[in-house]
Order: sequence, then structure tokens, then C-alpha cells
Amino acid sequence: MKSRKLLTGPYLFWSVSFVIIPLFMIVYYGLTDKEGGFTLLNLARITTPENLKALGLSLLLSLGSTLICLLLAYPLAMILAEKKVRQSSFIVLIFILPMWMNFLLRTLAWQNLLEKNGVLNNILHFFHLPSLTIINTPYAIILGMVYNFLPFMVLPIYNVLVKIDRDVIFAARDLGANTIQTFTKIIFPLSLPGIISGITMVFVPSLTTFVISDLLGGSKILLIGNVIEQEFKQGSNWNTGSGLSLVLMIFIIASMALIAKYDKDGEGNAF
Amino acid sequence: MKNIAKKIYLTLIFLLLYAPIATLIVLSFNNTKTRSKWGGFTGKWYLSLFHNQDIMNALYTTLIIALLSALIATVLGTAAAIGMQAMKSKIRTFLLGITNIPMLNADIVTGISLMLLFIAWRFTLGFSTILLAHITFNIPYVILSVLPKLKQTNKNIYEAALDLGASPVYAFYKVVFPDILPGVFSGFLLAFTMSLDDFVITHFTKGPGIDTLSTKIYSEVRKGIKPEMYALSTILFLTVLLLLILVNFTPDTQKEDKKKSRKITHIHKISSLIFKKAVPALMVIVITAGGIFYHSRNQMSTQNQVIVYNWGEYLDPDAVSMFEKETGIDVVYEEYETNEIMYPKVQSGAIAYDVVCPSDYMVQRMIENDLLAEINYNNIPNLEYIGDIYMEQSKQFDPENKYSIPYLWGTVGILYNKSMVDEPVDSWGILWDEKYEDNILMQDSVRDAFGVALKYLGYSLNSTDLDELEAAKKLLIAQKPLVQAYVIDQVRDKMIGNEAALGVIYSGEALYCQMENPDLEYVIPKEGSNLWIDSWVIPENARHKENAEKFINFLCRPDIAKMNFDYITYSIPNTAGRELIEDESVRNSTIAFPDPSQLTNCETFQFLGDENDTLYNQLWREVKSQ
Repeated sequence: MKSRKLLTGPYLFWSVSFVIIPLFMIVYYGLTDKEGGFTLLNLARITTPENLKALGLSLLLSLGSTLICLLLAYPLAMILAEKKVRQSSFIVLIFILPMWMNFLLRTLAWQNLLEKNGVLNNILHFFHLPSLTIINTPYAIILGMVYNFLPFMVLPIYNVLVKIDRDVIFAARDLGANTIQTFTKIIFPLSLPGIISGITMVFVPSLTTFVISDLLGGSKILLIGNVIEQEFKQGSNWNTGSGLSLVLMIFIIASMALIAKYDKDGEGNAF
Repeated sequence: MKNIAKKIYLTLIFLLLYAPIATLIVLSFNNTKTRSKWGGFTGKWYLSLFHNQDIMNALYTTLIIALLSALIATVLGTAAAIGMQAMKSKIRTFLLGITNIPMLNADIVTGISLMLLFIAWRFTLGFSTILLAHITFNIPYVILSVLPKLKQTNKNIYEAALDLGASPVYAFYKVVFPDILPGVFSGFLLAFTMSLDDFVITHFTKGPGIDTLSTKIYSEVRKGIKPEMYALSTILFLTVLLLLILVNFTPDTQKEDKKKSRKITHIHKISSLIFKKAVPALMVIVITAGGIFYHSRNQMSTQNQVIVYNWGEYLDPDAVSMFEKETGIDVVYEEYETNEIMYPKVQSGAIAYDVVCPSDYMVQRMIENDLLAEINYNNIPNLEYIGDIYMEQSKQFDPENKYSIPYLWGTVGILYNKSMVDEPVDSWGILWDEKYEDNILMQDSVRDAFGVALKYLGYSLNSTDLDELEAAKKLLIAQKPLVQAYVIDQVRDKMIGNEAALGVIYSGEALYCQMENPDLEYVIPKEGSNLWIDSWVIPENARHKENAEKFINFLCRPDIAKMNFDYITYSIPNTAGRELIEDESVRNSTIAFPDPSQLTNCETFQFLGDENDTLYNQLWREVKSQ
């Protein structure tokens, strides 16, 4: 077992060089001003009303999109898990396939679909249905998030579900559990690690995105990602940008800790 | 019943996932350059794609980076996951925390942090830095795909193998590895696709002259995506789809009769042959070819070259190839989207650009911060073709005409759709008319947006007066509910597609819009507007100054200036070049070449100092966050 642990070595070296040290550079920038002196002002910038609002909205939208992703993905992963292995691996690949079209292009394509004179409205118009105007609203942003990040929810859940021993389910059935009981007592608890991995994979990119809100929100809606991006690009104030990133990271670490706690319980069941 | 419900559900999800893709495929056959108008069916973009060296290079870089980074990440990640599984759960949780960092962190923070690191370590930004960055963010995907599989492996079987005399390595290979293989594979695939799909991190870690498809697309967003890009995406997508179908062809031998099944097994054999032999062989070939390619490229890069940093879509690529042919100088070409993105890159000095094309106020800022070299005008005889009036204009930001040479210029005004606006448009005030709620497009950049508001209030667009700026801010906030979207580039497509009635736009774009949609009309409001000039400058740290001057001189040649005008439709200060424009209505167009009387109230942006810059940004954020 000891020699196995050594396998982590190269990765550890890599992480320290390219993850930890760069982060300290952000910390350094975040805690200093332009002249290099220590300051907490960069961190305090999060408390301005507009930054707080951006953070709140980001949280709301990312929580919403994560929930929608979970609700969509779970039944989907279950349906996929029921299929025969070869066929379903094909179906799973179908979920990653869209990513072969560039992310920016795909998101831009939603503009074509959702616009006032867009494809969707033309179809609705054809059936004499009222038109849908969600482009440039928070709803379009949620749609963009769900669209872009759904595969990251489906795949981990699916990966866990296919590993569940069928006999456990049959046993539950034999012992008199109905479909709902089998689900709540067996399948769901066993799939928890996948769910949690999925939630992290959807929640965080949603929380920090700036491209989706830019392309589908008409730049009218400012998320915390946009604020940071503007500090780096338009304001070219790396110190403030780093400070805000630090705040965001504190936030991410808090949610990570929460998830780690959950995952511990899940781990017990997984073995 | 239940099965039908499942099928409907699957279909709906697939519709969601594939609707944008279908859209892009349709656009790749569209016979116009704008995405919002159907101009008939054409296959020409598929042909011109292969002649587009830029796109092909970007494609190649993208694939190599994706492949190498995914492979390395898979090896490192799988090994790490196996090691982590053997550790105590506390250490593992800690390591998992580290693993999660690049994934959970905002892309932009990861990108910036790596850029800071590379600059601190004096790495040259380029292919290798992109690769390092991609490996870094790819590893977590592999680990997170492999770990759940490892958790589900049955320890007892592995121990049984040990009991039966297998060595740990053998037992691992025979017992655990097959179990985790699907995880490794999906980790590799995820890593590959993530690398392919990444934009933000690449953007910050790349150097000059190197582009992946993402960064290429991003630089095109400003001017509208080139249709060739849709064509390329379609090809890529269909190739992968085909490969998947081939690899996953499922022979259901039990149900089929013998003869048929033999045939299918045959196909299955072919597909497994392709998958097991051909694909890895192909990978090896691509990597070696790529290595040689980049090696030769790097050798080339030490020789006779000029590194150009220009706005996206701001120069006819044919002009670049002509320059290369005539002078034998290699052009390394890179693009940016805004002045504010360009400035820190030049300032940091990480990349020594030879020629840059900033706008007026940015030229001033660069002069004030000693970032520019004086241009030797003896080396630029073609300067005589640039109209005196433009050199005079340049003195506003380059008082002695020492550092800059005007390249393109224009105004900012209102583009309106005559079929939706039936009153005469002559004032910025119409952008505050509630009649046009949700039909107004505003510019999404600080100075342009504030310029509109300040001018409407009758102030200077270089105002630093706090009261005036507050008033402008209030005005912009009042306007916000009426605005459909804040855009930079997409004004063009949206106006052509009749998505909005009014849009704030650059004159160069207006000319193109009018060609595509005759209902559109451009006006410079009577309160005055921004008169801007983008000029060529040579950074202080340029390594090929003489080549840079040759390049600028070349672009000042009348025939080249005219060629450029035809390509980008922005006004040229090259009076001799203007005379060459064949179409009289264009040559005398008041959009491209406004009468001086139209420009009486116009001003040029000035750099207001770092403090005022921060103030503007702060006020703009307050507008945007309302």
C-alpha cells in the first residue's frame, strides 16, 4: 500500500507548482496595493452595494441552475443506467459530443434561438402561441448555465448508478420494498457521491461564469464573475480583482467544506 | 407507457442539447456573413476554410494541446487517484481539496494566477505555457472520474488475488484496473473536451502568434464570427459523431441469425481495429508531426519577423501575405478586443510586440507611461499619402506627431431602422424615449457609454467633473430599463436582423450594416460625438523596430489602404487610398467620410489619468449593477 501512495508524488509536485504557488500570487496581489504595501481594502470592496448585489445574484442563479440540472439529470442518469452497457456508453458520449462545438459558438447560437425574431419565436408564432422573450434576462442566463453544465451533472451520477449492484435492488424488492422505497432507501443513498460530485461541477462554474451572462444577458446583468473580469480587463486593476477573487475563493472553500462533510457520510455507504 | 415517457424525456433533453448545434450547422451553409440573415444555401465556406491559414493553424494547435494535455493529465491523474485511494481518509480529503481548487476556482482566476506565475518565472508565453495550464486544469477531471470508480472496487477481490499469490502490481492490473478503466477513459475524454472547449485560461496564458480555436473565435466576436468557423465546427462535430457511431456499433449477436451476425462481427472487428490500432497510431502521428511543426516554427521565430498586435478583424489577411511575400519578413499576428485588454499586456512586457494599434486616448496613455518608441519617419516615406488633417487631429494625443501614425478613424453615432423609427433622428435624446423600450442597443464599454450621456448633457466626453459624471451616471441608470442589451460587436448582427430599432455604433460598422439591410440609417447626433483615430505605434521594447517601420510603411501605401478599406469598411486617413475606391457612392459616403461640418461638436477621447479611469469604471459598475 505504501508504494501506491508514492504514485501521488508527481501530481503533488505539479499541484504545488501550478496550483498552490499561483494562488499565493493571487493572495499577494489581493492583499497589497499598487505600490506593494499591505492593505485589506481590496477585500473590503466586496461590501459595496453593487458588488454585493452581483454576488447575491450569482448565488441565486447558480443555485437555481444547479437545482434544475439535478432535477433533469437524475432521471436521465437512471434511464441511461438501465440500458445495456455498450449502448449506454454511446449515449453518454452523446452528452460530451456537443462540447466538440466550441463553447462560445454554442452559447452564441442560443442568441439565434431565443431572440425576438429568433428560431424559437418563429416556431411559436407558427403555432399561434405567444412569443417568448427571455433573451437578455436572468432566465436566459440560467438556461445557458443548465445547457452548458448539464453533462457535468449527468456523468458523475450515471457513473455511480451503473456501479450499483443489481442484487441489492432485487434484495430490497424481495424484502417487500416498493419502487419508491427502493429508490429512497437504496438507490438514492448509494448515488450520493455522484450527486455531490455533480453539484460541485455545476455550482462553481455557474457561480463564477462571466461569458454566459455576457452573451445571453445582454451585458445588462452583472454577476460576480463579470465584476472580477472587468477589474482585470477593463480596469486593469489586478489588485482589486485579486481581492475579489479571494473573497470568492473563501466562499468556494466554505461550500467545499460543506460538501466534504456530506461526502463523508456518503462514503460510508459507497463501500 | 413508462417506456414512452422515458423516450419522450430523452428526446426533449437531446433537443435541448442539440438545438444550438443544429443552428450552427445551418449557419455554416448560410450565404451571408452575418448570422441574423439567411442569404441562401452555399457550400463555399467549406472550401474557403481550407485556404484560411489562421483557422487551420488554430485548429491544429487546439488539437495538439487537447491531446497532449489530456494524455499527460490522464497519466498523472490516474496515478494520483490510485495513490490517494490508498491514503488515510483525512489526508485524502485534504488532497481532494487541493484537487478541487483548479476546478472550483473561477477560470479567470486560474488563468491570471498562472499568467502571473509564468511571468514571474520568466517563461515565454506561448505553446508550452498553454499546455502547462491545460494539464493543470485537466488533472482534476481525471481524478474525479477515477476516484468514484476506485471507491466502488471491491477490496476483497484484490486481497483474494494477493492471497492467491499475485504480486500487488499484477493483482492491481488484473483486478482493479479493469474496474476503473471506464473512469480513466471518461476522465481522458472529459479532459480532452475540456481542453478543447477552454477559452478563459488559454486567453491569459497564450503568447503572440498562437491561437486556439476558442481564442480565435473570441477575437472574431467583435466583428462577427467568420462563417468558416461554423463550417469547421460542423466538420469537427460530424467527424467525431461518425467516429463514435463506428466505434460503438453494437452487434447484438444473440438475436441475429448466423449469417448476419458474422457480417456484423466483421464490422465490429473493423471498428475495434480502428479504435485499438488506428486511433492511437493517428495520435502518435499527429503528435510527432506537431512536434516537428512547432520545432521548425520556433526556429523560424528567431529570424526575420515582426510581431503585430492589432484589433480583431482589423486588417485584410491578404495584405499580410502580400507583405510577407514582398519583404520576406515573417508576420506574427495577434489580436485583442479592447484597448484595456491590450494595455496591460504591452505594459507587462511579457511579450515584446513590434507594432500595436491603440486608439487615441490609449496612445496618449502609453506615451505618458514611456511605453512607446519614437518612429523614424524617414523609414516611412508613404506617410505623404496620409491626409494632413489627420496628422493635425493626432496632435491631440501625440502632440509632436512623434509616436503614432493614423491607421483608421471614424465616429460614433446612432444606427436606426427606418421601418421602426418614423421620426427624424438627430439627437442622442431618442435613446431615452420610452417608445423604444427594449429596442435600444448601447455600447458595452465605459468610455463609449459615458461619452453618449455626457454629450447628450452638453458636457465634454473627457469630463472629469464629479457632478457632470454623476449626472451622466444617473442618466445612464434611467436609460437602463429601456435598453435591450449592452453590446460591442453584436450591434451589427442585431441591427441587420431587425432585433432592435436603435443602436449606438461605430461608423465603420454602420457602412457594412447598410449594405446588408437598406432600412438602416446612420446619424451623428447634433450634440456631437466621439471622433476617434486608431494609430500604429511601436512599443519601447520592440525587438524588430525596422521591420515594424517597414510594416507601417507598407500599410500606408494607397493600394493597400484601399484594399483594407474594402475588407473592413472603416474610414481610412489615406487620401490617396480613398481616391482609389471604385464605388462613387462609397467614396463619397458621409458615413465613411463625413463632411467637416458634421464633426463640429465632436471630440477625441483623451487619457484622463489612472485615478479618473478608476472613477469611470466605478461609476460604470454602478450603472451596470442597477
